[in-house]
Amino acid sequence: MINNQNTTPQSESQDAGSGIDYWLSLEQYEGNLEFAKRAEGEFMSSPLKTEEGQGGFARREFLRLMGASIAMATTACVRRPVQKIIPYAQAPKGHIPGIPNIYTSTWFDGVEGAGVLVKTMDGRPIKLEGNPSHPMNLGGLSARAHAEVLSLYDPDRLKAPVRNADGKEASAKWEEVDTAILAELGKGGVAILSSTLPSPSTRALVADFQKSYGARWVQFDALAVDAIVEGQRRSYGKSGLPRYRFDKAKIVVAIDADFIGTHISPVEFMKQWSKRRKPGSEMGRLVAFESSMTLTGLNADDRVRIRPSQQIEAAFAILNAVVKASKGAAQVPGGITAFLKEYDQAAERLGMSTELLAGLGEELWVNRGKGLVLAGGLATIDAVEVQMVANLLNTVLGNDGHTIDHDGAPFLTRQGSASELAKLIVDMKSGSVKTLVIHNLNAAYVLSGDSGFSEALAKVPTVIYTGNMNDETGRLAGFVLPAGSSLEVWGDYEFQEGVVSIQQPTIQPMYESRSFEESLFAWAQKSVSASVRLKGAKDWYDFVRSYWKTDVYPKAAEGKGKSFDDFWLHVLQTGVVDTGGGQRDRVGSVRTFTGTVAKPAVTQKQEGYELALYPSVQLADGRYSNVSWLQELPDPVTKMVWDNYVMLSPATARSENLRQGDVIELTVKAKTLKVPVHIQPGMHDAVFAVSLGYGRGQTGDAGKVAKGIGVNAYQLVNFRGTQPAVFAGQTVSFKKTGENYLLVSTQIHHVMEGRQIVVEATNAAYQKNPESGIHRHKIFSIWPEHQYTRSKWAMSIDLNQCTGCSACVVACQAENNIPVVGKTYVFEGREMHWIRIDRYYKGAPENPEGAFMPLNCMHCENAPCETVCPVAATVHNDEGLNDMSYNRCVGTRYCSNNCPYKVRRFNWFNFSKREAPLHMALNPEVTVRMRGVMEKCTLCVHRIRQVQSGIGQPTKPERIRDGEIKTACEETCPTDAITFGDLNDPTSRVSKLFADKRTYGLLEELNTQPRVRYMSRIRNAKRAESDHGHGAPVHEAPAAGHGHGVNSYKKESMNTQHDEAEA
Amino acid sequence: MAKRVGGVVGLWDDDHTLVSAAYKVRQAGFVKFDAITPFPVHGMEEAIGIKRSWIPWVTFIMGATGCLAGIWLQYWTSAIDWAVNVGGRPFFSGPAFVPVMFEMTILFAALSSVAALFFACRLPKMDPSIIDPDLTSHKFALFIPENDVGYDAGRVEQLLRQVGAKEVRRISEY
Amino acid sequence: MSSVSRKPLILGDKTYKDITDDICGPTETFPSKGWFGLFLGAKALFIFYIIIVAIIISTGMGLLGVNHPIAWGTMIVTFVFWIGIGHAGTLISAILFLFRQKWRTSVARSAEAMTVFAVMTAGIFPLIHTGRPWLDFWLLPYPNQRGPLWVNFRSPLLWDVFAVSTYATVSSVFWYVGLVPDLATLRDRSKTKIRRLIYGVLSMGWRGSARDWTHYEMVYLLLAGLSTPLVLSVHTIVSFDFAVSMLPGWHTTIFPPYFVAGAVFSGFGMVVTLLTLVRRAFPVFKDYITIDHMEVMNKIIMTTGMMVGYAYASEFFIAWYSGNPYETYAFINRATGPYWWAYWIMVSCNVIFPQIFWFKRFRRSIPVMFVVSILVNVGMWFERFVITVTSLHRDFLPSNWGMYAWSWYDSAVLFGSFGMFFTIFLLYLRVLPAISIAEVKPVLYVGKKPKHGGQHG
Repeated sequence: MINNQNTTPQSESQDAGSGIDYWLSLEQYEGNLEFAKRAEGEFMSSPLKTEEGQGGFARREFLRLMGASIAMATTACVRRPVQKIIPYAQAPKGHIPGIPNIYTSTWFDGVEGAGVLVKTMDGRPIKLEGNPSHPMNLGGLSARAHAEVLSLYDPDRLKAPVRNADGKEASAKWEEVDTAILAELGKGGVAILSSTLPSPSTRALVADFQKSYGARWVQFDALAVDAIVEGQRRSYGKSGLPRYRFDKAKIVVAIDADFIGTHISPVEFMKQWSKRRKPGSEMGRLVAFESSMTLTGLNADDRVRIRPSQQIEAAFAILNAVVKASKGAAQVPGGITAFLKEYDQAAERLGMSTELLAGLGEELWVNRGKGLVLAGGLATIDAVEVQMVANLLNTVLGNDGHTIDHDGAPFLTRQGSASELAKLIVDMKSGSVKTLVIHNLNAAYVLSGDSGFSEALAKVPTVIYTGNMNDETGRLAGFVLPAGSSLEVWGDYEFQEGVVSIQQPTIQPMYESRSFEESLFAWAQKSVSASVRLKGAKDWYDFVRSYWKTDVYPKAAEGKGKSFDDFWLHVLQTGVVDTGGGQRDRVGSVRTFTGTVAKPAVTQKQEGYELALYPSVQLADGRYSNVSWLQELPDPVTKMVWDNYVMLSPATARSENLRQGDVIELTVKAKTLKVPVHIQPGMHDAVFAVSLGYGRGQTGDAGKVAKGIGVNAYQLVNFRGTQPAVFAGQTVSFKKTGENYLLVSTQIHHVMEGRQIVVEATNAAYQKNPESGIHRHKIFSIWPEHQYTRSKWAMSIDLNQCTGCSACVVACQAENNIPVVGKTYVFEGREMHWIRIDRYYKGAPENPEGAFMPLNCMHCENAPCETVCPVAATVHNDEGLNDMSYNRCVGTRYCSNNCPYKVRRFNWFNFSKREAPLHMALNPEVTVRMRGVMEKCTLCVHRIRQVQSGIGQPTKPERIRDGEIKTACEETCPTDAITFGDLNDPTSRVSKLFADKRTYGLLEELNTQPRVRYMSRIRNAKRAESDHGHGAPVHEAPAAGHGHGVNSYKKESMNTQHDEAEA
Repeated sequence: MAKRVGGVVGLWDDDHTLVSAAYKVRQAGFVKFDAITPFPVHGMEEAIGIKRSWIPWVTFIMGATGCLAGIWLQYWTSAIDWAVNVGGRPFFSGPAFVPVMFEMTILFAALSSVAALFFACRLPKMDPSIIDPDLTSHKFALFIPENDVGYDAGRVEQLLRQVGAKEVRRISEY
Repeated sequence: MSSVSRKPLILGDKTYKDITDDICGPTETFPSKGWFGLFLGAKALFIFYIIIVAIIISTGMGLLGVNHPIAWGTMIVTFVFWIGIGHAGTLISAILFLFRQKWRTSVARSAEAMTVFAVMTAGIFPLIHTGRPWLDFWLLPYPNQRGPLWVNFRSPLLWDVFAVSTYATVSSVFWYVGLVPDLATLRDRSKTKIRRLIYGVLSMGWRGSARDWTHYEMVYLLLAGLSTPLVLSVHTIVSFDFAVSMLPGWHTTIFPPYFVAGAVFSGFGMVVTLLTLVRRAFPVFKDYITIDHMEVMNKIIMTTGMMVGYAYASEFFIAWYSGNPYETYAFINRATGPYWWAYWIMVSCNVIFPQIFWFKRFRRSIPVMFVVSILVNVGMWFERFVITVTSLHRDFLPSNWGMYAWSWYDSAVLFGSFGMFFTIFLLYLRVLPAISIAEVKPVLYVGKKPKHGGQHG
């Protein structure tokens, strides 16, 4: 094998100089004696030692390690099998320090998945980027995906298997664990409980495992969308999770479906939707019916507040409006037309204007086939019926098959079903389940509602939990087997039918961890009735590879006319292949609606409070709660950090006489939960909304960071046996506890005070005058300006595209080694984020519009910060960047005072200290700042320099192509709102955007001449023109100020006045 | 007065008689004589015939020097040696450089004036001979050095008594 | 002078000798219990201050309430406060000297001493408020091998470095020059060898010959002439720290005169506070620092107080008249925002309370002036707090708005600095003549029938 592989390097090295030259395989290093020698020496030094468990971590460059292992192979003492992984973009011949290697991989957190590029520096994965060739996220990435790096280096991860016996935990060796488990498996009654595993080869392996031990497999998702799956089955006879096509939709109606924030696949949806948001006649329009205040609501052109229990009514009301608008042309099953007229007065029950409802029906009908009615997310008691009405609507409107793709490339994620789970729980109770393997699902935590899971689990003799911590579930499991990070193991994913992507390990497992698949493989292979496929495979990697050979390679378009090895290489380089035969973009088939929707009991309770349990953008199902980046990421809507809370409308707070932070005790079906109040404009007055994913490890089981953060709202989830679990609409009552809890937000004032900050205009106004809403100032300088002859870097931020998803904030944090400071210091105003997202409210506090403004350093040409720095620590470079030289900074902080945008951040303490091994996530290209120096956005100057100096390229580039340099925030932005480029290049995108009529400078009247400019926000609303025209809002939202004013309470008396002032 | 000379001292215990005495002594043709008083006595300069102090010239010249030094320092550092784009401002930001020029002017002028004072008064002096400790409190004196024109100890003592000295002493060195 | 010359500047039937004895007395007798009490108190506070500063330097600025957006807080506020205090001394010793105000002579010495000590106290703050105090020397334009690398002369903070250091140097030199003749007096009076040696060295062999006096008076005049523009420039430049920036509420042309007036105001407040204490500690000084002196200073307090009040008013007028929304908001926010109470403390202490001095009875009442003078300084501290903190806490972008996170370290450095000041001042009272002997003697007969019919005055 090694020999024939040996021939490749020569052939490869021919095309050196072609810019990027790949090396075919690690084996080729064999040819390079020098390397082998160096590697051998290297190999002796640390990695092997650490593998033999003498502490420390495998820090060495992964390639070198692989190469080295081959060097060792000749001496026949290789510990790990030789496996090939191929860098995506550039691969040095041998290791050149400081040059990142980038690998394709795939990220999945059980909620949402994305194709990623893993940037490894000296063998340490330091950053995830979106994989542009992945058809779903197209280079975009969510905030949570970035957190995967930090969770890889989580100091609290288990470093070896653990056995929990009678309350004591003892670490164990894999060998003994395996023998013990194999004994148990032999006894039969084996079951696997996991979240949906959208991985072809894992599914194959699980299937083989099931064969080996006659095991059953139950999938359940913490944030279940089984109502949608079920709704599809009952509407069209075929269950499944359709793929929504926002890029094809001109009008989107979202009923409690936060598709921009958390619903199913937000990054993909945002990519699509942003294409429809280009202002003009074809601009898409979004109408949201929602009970809680979500990102979708804040980005909606029109928003209607409903009770969760009114989802069904909203759906019927729209249907009714459509039918009316169609003048009877709409085909609606007779059974429904019978009672449809009861929704003639629905508008006022929903608290919306009849015109708006009628107009909506009109719009939907006019845009038949170009509309999309989306429901679900907050599953109510009649969630399935809601789905069916929504499906009916889409069928009636001919959207099905156009904006809803059910047979092209539907989702394979989130298929978990409550009914399967319920059956499992019954069997567990009856004792027929002897051994339960729990994977990728913190069952004890997410099922802490009335599912009866924990009690049932107590009846299972052997519980095996493949989690990385001895957490809620781990405590109830006999065996806790660390599965390691997804960055350490092989795998593959198929999030949507036909989109198959590979997951490559990018670092040696740091601890004695073994992936779920490796464990399953090991156990299944040992069984007598193991399948041929299993017997044939050397190990899990071999299994994956052979699975691809047999099942993916023949179907994949990329495989045509390639040997499998070449195909495999191609896969490793691009990360994703299409086995759907290009089905993705073809128009789907139109289905006939066969379901029958019963007349809902029109018992619209108009009194009493309803509960809404929603996933938060930061933590989703809660698995990342030990990642400080996400805990300190301000909630895109509330700007709160480090906590969850119950959201109430200002009116409710007033009538119930509740203040911000008052701790109340919620009571839902005899279950109680103590949670602090957050007064949130835009909430429905009858809704109490609490976010899921918090309240983990009050005992610290879930790690030091997560300890004591928030409350566990899963406890309030209502499981109804085989019916989908209820997350919203339950009746809730509360009583005050008299305590007040400190809630901290990064923004305490939420209205623009009539200043030109986020400029807004309606689409109509924009079409009349593209500059609409922008007040231009006559500005002149009294001194001659400096000329920038080389490059002139600049950034354009399109406020119309920005949805406030906050992915850029975490991307920047990961890229620039930005420290996390913790709740107390955020409270004292010491958060360090270089880019922040300001969120403003407009209009009445009952139902305000939202506006988002990403704010990083403006790199002003006349930078106020520079003139006042006594030591010239911050000056302009000849490309017009506002440079900050940390080692010169004395820390007078005058620059921060004089910065009108207040984008500078000061190291009040030695924030950069990190607990090992978190320091391994540091980006060596960016200085780690010490205590007492000022820092701020550099426009990723290190990336600029890397390209300019042609690092990793054969030659220095003559001129830099536009888009070749991307800042971290730009690269990750799911809506492509951020554009970075060179103003001296008239053809660059940024030059064109700066010339655009929508572009304006923030506070440009100060003549700071910012190099970061904004493009006005265009609202495609039917609301009154007057609300929009100028940046100055007509009404402010005082209550918004009020609610949050409270957050800015400081210990000292001087602040007791604060909320009065804000009020 | 580097080398110490002897002479005759007359002591008074109030200042205005001293002034008239000093005037008379000058009439008598003495020029090098001096008065020692606990505080500056008005009209004494005229009485003894001391010229106006030359120190203001030092002050002016050094002040001007300080100003120029200020300009040069800022111009050379900001516009010549290390011309860096600070906040888009011109390398020589004239108005912004005024305060430092001003402070340098004052500093140079003030310190040099004091230095000049020390020079003029020959300060610091090692163990000055103290004629009478009360001369810095409530006594006043006239001192006629032996190297003064037409000095004659006897006549001088007589003269001093005439002009009202309460006490006359002959001292070996002053 | 004629107005002043009618009243005697020095009470009691004093001779030159009495004056010498009276003023030198405190330096030659054993300190009283009272003095010891005060000194130990002040010293304890001073040591506490040193410890606190050490902790802050070793842990980080975050211990104080400064944050984002309010990057300057207690330390800068208190720095400006102390610098302001200093101004009265220079004003009395220099400006009143130029105006030939003879009444200044009795208070000049202590006022100057106060200046020097206040500037010392103030000077500490800019040094320790930086993030990395051990690198403060980088603010000096010294030739180095990192270069070319120089300081940024466009920064008001750098102007501060020059202004404050020049001010400190010149005012202490001025003070010292004034001290030389009196040190000579102490030297000649000294009974013990050691005293003789120390004061001998300090007085540098001054003898007071007429020729020396000529030069001396000339230099004194020159220094007075130089200090006058200097003292004005110093607070002007300190005000530039704010006025030169872009921040609404800072970016104001009225700041220089406004700050100088405020400085004189607070300075006189402190002088009155100290001198009432000195009069109490050394009753004999009552003859030199007479009730008339105090009254004159109270008049100045009232006048400057009204000047400051005018500044407050005109700020508001301009804020409205400029039509600049940010500025308008900044000032409305000062009076009605979360920090309204600080603003109104400032106004009442600086503008309203001093009005009591319209009444001669109160002008001449020691208790009243003592209380008012303290209130004045409270008010002036809050003025700087209002300017610094309330302007920063709400500026251009509402999303930045925040509140100052006052911690007990803020209180510690604030009060600790008083420990430093009073420790030094109390020591000064014991070892140096608290009144200028050589300056008081010439005005002995002002407003009196001279014993020997002298024609002074």
